[in-house]
Amino acid sequence: MEDLEKLKTENEMLKKANENKSDIISITAHQLRTSLSALKWILKMFVDEEIGKLTSEQMELVRKAYTSNERMLALVNDLLTLNRSENITIPYNFKKVDILQLVEQTLFEFYGETNNKGIELIFLKPETIIPSINCDEEMIRVVIQNLIENSIKYSNANGKIFVSLSQKENNVQISVHDTGIGIKNEDKDNIFQKFFRAPNAIEKDAVGSGLGLYTTRNIVEKHNGKIWFEDTQSGETTFFVILPIL
Amino acid sequence: MKIKKVLIVEDDSFLQGLETKKLEEVGYVVVTASSGEEGLKKINEPDIDIVLLDLILPNFDGLEILKKIKGTEALKNIPVIVFSNLSEEKTIKRSMELGATDFMVKSNFTLDELVKRIDSVLK
Repeated sequence: MEDLEKLKTENEMLKKANENKSDIISITAHQLRTSLSALKWILKMFVDEEIGKLTSEQMELVRKAYTSNERMLALVNDLLTLNRSENITIPYNFKKVDILQLVEQTLFEFYGETNNKGIELIFLKPETIIPSINCDEEMIRVVIQNLIENSIKYSNANGKIFVSLSQKENNVQISVHDTGIGIKNEDKDNIFQKFFRAPNAIEKDAVGSGLGLYTTRNIVEKHNGKIWFEDTQSGETTFFVILPIL
Repeated sequence: MKIKKVLIVEDDSFLQGLETKKLEEVGYVVVTASSGEEGLKKINEPDIDIVLLDLILPNFDGLEILKKIKGTEALKNIPVIVFSNLSEEKTIKRSMELGATDFMVKSNFTLDELVKRIDSVLK
């Protein structure tokens, strides 16, 4: 009995500590974002030469500063998402969700960006009815967003991204296939590690925290699902996510 | 064409200055408020076409201001864009439930993108 009480007390203390950690992250993120917003807006004024012409050397430096600031913002955003995905004091809001509608809505947010970048984003609509699944809608939206964002980030102009949805026995499977830079053999084991960024990913896009896929896997596993990828020699990559229907 | 008037409720004077500069450059008339109380006073100025509302403000929570605007017959049709660096789901959901036209996380947008959004709401 005494041991049980001790465990209960310790559990409460851990919950409290976790809550405090989350609060600190939220407050810090807000304050960081305020300063980073100011920097972003000012540097953009310089990049756009709204406050005077720059020499090519000045422009190069200002662009680097802008990219560096964007990297910091991406880190703050990813830390917030990670914090939410790991926060045990805010339980996931599991409910019946129309996964087809969720995929379509999420894709819709990206068409502007893919058009601007000359990338084709194609949804291969399922030919059969896809049942609703029991999930936290906002968290699964993050999963779909992260996978599509990565595909866009690491695709070249004229690249293609195919998203598909299907039922596999008692699960639904979401797949995101791209014709991007691919994943090198030596990086495959690390791709879901916290803060890991493959050298070819850094070279292609300097902005990124290395938390996206880590968080994505975290969310999928909290839904008792699985995430993995397959690739080809030519650099095509497909990420698969399996989520249980019930 | 009538020049549109934007009320910016923002307590960070530096951000407020940058937002004002950009909006005035593209032809808007800008009215500013640095606290919730001031915001509630200035929303009653004639011809405010849209409100850009921060959430963490001295005296009044931004959501309280939104609630008051949307609960006042004479003001409820004025579109309000919440422009904050908070991004918790519950805050976004609450803002939209209270009648915000949009919720924009400041750090995710450039000022040009903000202008585009305001333009499209007022079109």
